[in-house]
Amino acid sequence: MDLSRAKACIARVGGTNCDLEMKVALENLGLTAEVLHMKQILKRGLSEYQLFVLPGGFSYGDYVRAGAIWGKEVHSKIKSELEAFIDEEKLVMGVCNGFQVMIEAGILPNGELVEVPKAALANNMSAKYECRWVYLRVERGGTPFTGDLETGEILKIPVGHGEGRFIPASEDFLKELIEEGCVLFRYSMPSGEAAEGRYPYNPNGSVYDIAGICNRKGNVMGMMPHPERAFFGWQLPEERNVPYGDGKRIFQGIIKYLQKY
Amino acid sequence: MVRVEVKLKKGHFDPEGDVTTKSLRDLGFPVSGVRVSKVYTVELEVNDKERAMSLAREMCRKLLANPTKDDFFIEVLAGEGGVN
Amino acid sequence: MKEGLIRKVPGVSVVEIDLSRAEDKDLSEISQTMGLALSLREMKALKEHYSRPLTDVEIQTFGQTWSEHCIHKTFKGIVEVEGGRRINGLLKEYIMKATKELNKPWCYSVFEDNAGLIEFDQDYLVAAKVETHNHPSAVEPFGGAATGVGGVIRDILGVWGEPIANIDVLCFGPLDLPYETLPHGLKHPKYIYKGVIAGIGSYGNNMGIPTVSGAIFFDSGYVGNPVVYCGCVGILPKGFYVKDTKEGDYAVLAGGRTGRDGIHGVTFASTDLMEDTDRLRPAVQIPNPLVEERLRRAIITIRDRRLASGITDLGGGGISCATGEMANRSGLGIEVSLDVVHLKEPDLAPWEIWISESQERMLLSVPERNLGDVLEVFEDEDVEACVLGRFNGSRRLRVYHRGLVVCDLDLEFLYSPPRAIRKASHVEYVPTPCALPEPKDLAEELLRILSDPNIRSKEDVIRTYDHEVRGCTAIKPLQGDLSGPNDAAIIKPLRDSWMGVVISCGITPFYPDPYWMAAASIEEAIRNNTSVGGRRIALLDNFVWGNPEREDRMGSLVRAAEACYDFSKALDAPFISGKDSLYNESPLGPVRPTLLITGIGIIPDVRKAVTVELKEEGDPLYVLGVTRNELAGSIYLKSKGLNGGECPKVNAKISKDTTQSLIKAMDSGLVAACHDVSEGGIGVAAAEMVMAANLGLSIDLRNVPSDVNRSDVLLFSESTSRFLVEVKRDCVREFEEILQGVPHCKVGVVGGNSFRIFGLDGSTWEVGISELRHAWRGVDGP
Repeated sequence: MDLSRAKACIARVGGTNCDLEMKVALENLGLTAEVLHMKQILKRGLSEYQLFVLPGGFSYGDYVRAGAIWGKEVHSKIKSELEAFIDEEKLVMGVCNGFQVMIEAGILPNGELVEVPKAALANNMSAKYECRWVYLRVERGGTPFTGDLETGEILKIPVGHGEGRFIPASEDFLKELIEEGCVLFRYSMPSGEAAEGRYPYNPNGSVYDIAGICNRKGNVMGMMPHPERAFFGWQLPEERNVPYGDGKRIFQGIIKYLQKY
Repeated sequence: MVRVEVKLKKGHFDPEGDVTTKSLRDLGFPVSGVRVSKVYTVELEVNDKERAMSLAREMCRKLLANPTKDDFFIEVLAGEGGVN
Repeated sequence: MKEGLIRKVPGVSVVEIDLSRAEDKDLSEISQTMGLALSLREMKALKEHYSRPLTDVEIQTFGQTWSEHCIHKTFKGIVEVEGGRRINGLLKEYIMKATKELNKPWCYSVFEDNAGLIEFDQDYLVAAKVETHNHPSAVEPFGGAATGVGGVIRDILGVWGEPIANIDVLCFGPLDLPYETLPHGLKHPKYIYKGVIAGIGSYGNNMGIPTVSGAIFFDSGYVGNPVVYCGCVGILPKGFYVKDTKEGDYAVLAGGRTGRDGIHGVTFASTDLMEDTDRLRPAVQIPNPLVEERLRRAIITIRDRRLASGITDLGGGGISCATGEMANRSGLGIEVSLDVVHLKEPDLAPWEIWISESQERMLLSVPERNLGDVLEVFEDEDVEACVLGRFNGSRRLRVYHRGLVVCDLDLEFLYSPPRAIRKASHVEYVPTPCALPEPKDLAEELLRILSDPNIRSKEDVIRTYDHEVRGCTAIKPLQGDLSGPNDAAIIKPLRDSWMGVVISCGITPFYPDPYWMAAASIEEAIRNNTSVGGRRIALLDNFVWGNPEREDRMGSLVRAAEACYDFSKALDAPFISGKDSLYNESPLGPVRPTLLITGIGIIPDVRKAVTVELKEEGDPLYVLGVTRNELAGSIYLKSKGLNGGECPKVNAKISKDTTQSLIKAMDSGLVAACHDVSEGGIGVAAAEMVMAANLGLSIDLRNVPSDVNRSDVLLFSESTSRFLVEVKRDCVREFEEILQGVPHCKVGVVGGNSFRIFGLDGSTWEVGISELRHAWRGVDGP
């Protein structure tokens, strides 16, 4: 579709706090991005949007578990709306707390809103909040979110979370995720080899170094690292005299997809 | 009233418990391990013990616990406004 | 106490106190039992003014409004210095005077509102405020520190600013303090340390405001009195700074509910911490960042829609001070009803509602036509709000509770407290010789200093604070994968401008002379700011001192304030805001006198900012400034348990010339890396530049501009006004030209995989990068 008609909805509730930088990133690439409170989403619905973003923050204070309360709210209030959105192969993206919400709402790993989550994002192994830049290896290029990336590429993007340790419900389920190409990003060494749990390359102790996953079709994606904080060159810690950072590559994938949508 | 305790399943690493263990050992306590759990005391609008139990189970399934990592324990408490 | 002085008012939870018949000892007793912390002189002033009995609500209003915390009695009072000199207010005669004389057109609103405001560019203002939360953090570290952060964020909201960065500077007792040596009632430094850090992280991270700048110190002088400084920086469009409350406007209270938490926080901050700290817990406020996050959204919306005529935060003194100040500031009066306030628990007495310091509350004045819209904005963001009252022309503070007037005070009198008179002795550090034999192995000394708690990397703490949220952090507190310590942080607050706000700290609590300590702190804040490319620097002062009613404490405070005037003026950096925390006393004595200076600079283009890590093999390294034999209070001596030596002094001319030339060199693109030389001297600064990159360095102490004849002194002296600068190899000539007239010399070359030091007598020491890192960070890799 014509990009000037494409629209992103960045959802928020009390405690969401990464909506601004998400909007900046999307708008920089020419997309119209609106930040909408859940209350407004309930009134307006999602039909006018092609991208639904759950941004980072501490939704509802992260009480009970990180992302749990918003996750259950999504599940109980916009389940069918969101399922239809996903069926139409529109894009759903969750970053950090948004990823936690997607897990708790059951949107991921499967892309269908199941009642009982099949994975968890548990406390970091370090038992601390971790704000640091990590290396991500792209495990599957060419999906809607990795349309501008190739398998095996290395991205440098920051994380900032206390609960990001991905745990699948079972060994078999993990195998299934890997086999079906649902593991999208893994924490890696700068060289690209797997972090294999080594701290701080794998900052939280995620199983199989998982940093981001998607559904089979790839139109639903959640990740702990923040691509919107590595969008511009000046945001980068080292090579700052470049116009853009690696985070932009993920957003470019979104744009490519929407142009064809 | 029901008391719901949510804690990490056996075999799951508990970073908070681990750090607490170390800290208590630093202070000279003979501690070999700590597990952290969360307790919810829920005031229910029902008086039937069985029903309270099943509601609490449902709460855990739907919100209070994530079965991938959590176990939960429910205790129905007698008391004001609770089950007799 | 004399019978019949206190009488219960029938039907309401109010008592009346008849001061007119009270004798001196009754007055003191009333002040004490009601927790007022008013002096006998102040109580007598009340007695003289009122022939009628005062209600507890009224007396509490005076207790709050006349507190050290709210009106800065000591800084505004008269000081009689030993020898007959009389100072007409430290604030007026020193700190504000420098600002006034410098008369910078970019100072927009200084020392007036909740925060200082300076111009950022033509269309935007930067707001900055730093507070202390020492007493609450000593009692309940997590809640105390978290509410400290919450409070200073509201100061920024209180000038309509959008918070963009947090600052936290902390001082604790030694973490390895033996438990047996801790006096009863005090908490162990480790417990306080963990709680404070968790509290700061929790609040800042939850609010989505990056914590970008700070420092941590350890010293036995902080065992009884830990120090917690919380700062916040915000931005706002210039035309949206509205403080124009009019007669007939409504007073709207919004945010968290009012409860018993934080009752008497103000008077608590104005007394010594002598009691068992556990008994003081009710005075500590309970943090709820989730509420403040919603409050922030609502307030920014109200600002952008221009719906309100004024705003202030509820801090010390709660509703009583916020309403009184807002009315007084606009030359108005106000009527308030306590019945509409949303409460946490039902049975609060009127005076408790009136002075409670429950967190996350703001007061707005709203013209009648916008009242509905304002309440709707709050409702949309799920923020509770109530119409507390209405402003009028009466110049009185009138409070209703269940139909009865429980407070009716004349604002003129309430805001003209008797001026405090403090006495000060003359305090000066007289240097004693320092008997330190020159050590043989400087490599060993360096490694020891790098692992000193005051020097060691604070990465463990810094990474638990989100410093990237909002996506505006251009220069981070930790540089790159190897976590080099950048001297200042830079925030790029606007989407369509390359300009950045540069945030730095200066704090040198170990220097024994209060005058030179203050001078060094000011100079360090400026130096740190300059190191990354900051200029046009504004300063904030935060004094943490002991009981000002003791002459020696007051004496050192006077000296520090004098330095503030002298060096603010000489270094061309005005103060824009400040806050003092006095009465920091414990059974172990007074706190180590500590002055935090915060520097707020600007940089025209964040892409040109300079970072700490060495960049390129073969580049020369320069030392700027002169190294003197100034070891008093240095980490070098302190880590050996030694005293004595000369205190580092500041030569304002050299300092100013150096920073100006350095900025010029940076703007010309000649500088590859820069680091200020402070704690641990050249040795530590150079080692940090090495560790921040994977590049070695050799330095030759024979080339350091100095008249010192010992290698260890050259390496570890903490003389001020110095920088280490890596100059791009092919820019040396141009650099030298710009630096003409400023003491400087090439002392080393970047390269190799170790840090090599050449001593005065030709000795050489070499330390591997990995060894340095093990000492400083405990690990080698990222």
